[in-house]
Amino acid sequence: MQCFMCGAEVGNDKVCYNCGADILLYKQIIYTSYVFYNQGLEKARVRDLSGAIEALKSSLQYYKYNTRARNLLGLCYYQVGDTVRAINEWVLSKNLQEEDNPNADRYLAEIENDPGLLSRLNSTIKKYNQAIEYCKAGSRDLAMIQLKKVISQNPNLVKAHQLLALLYIQDEKYADARKVLSAAAKIDSNNTTTIRYIHEVKELLKEQNTGKRKRKNDVFTFNDGNDTVIMNERALRSMLDTTRTSLVNIVLGLVGGLLICFFLIVPTVKDNMAEGNTDTILALNENLSQARNQNQELQDEIDNLKKSLSAYDETQDIPTSYENLLAAQNAHSAGDDAAASESIQLVSKDVLGEAGKAAYDSLYTQLAPTIIKGYYDDGNTFYSDENYESAIVNFQTVVDIDETYNNGAALFLLGDCYRLTGDSAKALECFNKVVELYPSNQWGRQAKVYIAADDTELSATEVGD
Amino acid sequence: MIDFEEELKKFEPAIEVEQAEADIKARDLTDLTDLLVNMSAQQTNVPK
Repeated sequence: MQCFMCGAEVGNDKVCYNCGADILLYKQIIYTSYVFYNQGLEKARVRDLSGAIEALKSSLQYYKYNTRARNLLGLCYYQVGDTVRAINEWVLSKNLQEEDNPNADRYLAEIENDPGLLSRLNSTIKKYNQAIEYCKAGSRDLAMIQLKKVISQNPNLVKAHQLLALLYIQDEKYADARKVLSAAAKIDSNNTTTIRYIHEVKELLKEQNTGKRKRKNDVFTFNDGNDTVIMNERALRSMLDTTRTSLVNIVLGLVGGLLICFFLIVPTVKDNMAEGNTDTILALNENLSQARNQNQELQDEIDNLKKSLSAYDETQDIPTSYENLLAAQNAHSAGDDAAASESIQLVSKDVLGEAGKAAYDSLYTQLAPTIIKGYYDDGNTFYSDENYESAIVNFQTVVDIDETYNNGAALFLLGDCYRLTGDSAKALECFNKVVELYPSNQWGRQAKVYIAADDTELSATEVGD
Repeated sequence: MIDFEEELKKFEPAIEVEQAEADIKARDLTDLTDLLVNMSAQQTNVPK
């Protein structure tokens, strides 16, 4: 060993015999430095980095050329995220011991071999410093955001964890603070600041839990489907405020929608409907016109078909008429004029040929009294039964054949039927004819009575038969 | 009880990369051996 003053070889002597320097004291100082280094090394091994840093700093205060202590100090700084301090220690180490300093060489080489490392580290440091500024300015939210970024980029920066925990504590987010502090404690297990904060957070969490128990009565519970929701009063009030705001927004939206509907959509729809109605009316009119035309065509067709059918019926009627005419002739020849009368009345004279018509006229003339008598008798029967409508038909047939039948009796009774059915005009017409034809017989006189009295309302029984 | 403002004062800005050189230069590297050398030198220079 050389003397620290004159450089003379001193061996194990306690004093330099050349210059008188206290070699023992010098040796004790260096020894103490190494003792601190050993302490630092022990603490670093158990991840008590704060303790290690303090011990190593002490070691270097005793003896700055303790390169091992300086390199280890840099490593501890690096481990707690204080990278610039770490680099500084390694640079100093290299400067103080340029030769035979492999650890400093290796650490610096690793940093130099990663070109982006310094810029990333610098960015992280700037954000951390910015977070401190935000805290001092009272912008805790911004500080939290920055610190979270810092931790994501440099998870070993214990100071950032501590500051974030402090902010959480200030915001009474003790659980979050505890989480962050636990992470910090894993990096630097014996950091006094971390330990102090952890104790504080534990106490605060205890108080918070006690307070929660006390506030249990303020808790609201309600069922949401199958789930039971438990909320404290503050959260419930906040939710209700949010719900109220949402309802107001919904109502405003509905009002807006209705106004848009009323002013924009409804007029358009009305116009479209009016246009649609007009089109519909025009289409219906056209359809109606077409239907009328079709109806007219169908009616014409029906008329034509009826004519055809009539002609067909007439054609069909020809053999029947001849058969009936033949039957009437046969019955008349056999002396049964009643049967002959019935048969001849079934004959359609118009469909007969000239010979047929001649035969018909001849036979009809012979059977006319019988036919007329039949109608007259039937009329009387209906008249007696007060079936004046049917009586009119029979009497009208008699009068059509022979107005003078039975000295005007048929004509009078026809008029009387009209009188009894309230048809005074026809009744008077019949009575006038009776008076004209037979003014002095009983039908004529009776007719005069009706005409003179102008009392066609009188009954036959009152006048006398 | 933690005083936020007081705790905040303990957080100092970290040294940025640009400040590294200045930090090294400003570092007082005087150790106990230096003091011992100075003291020994002074003792040597003191006239007996």
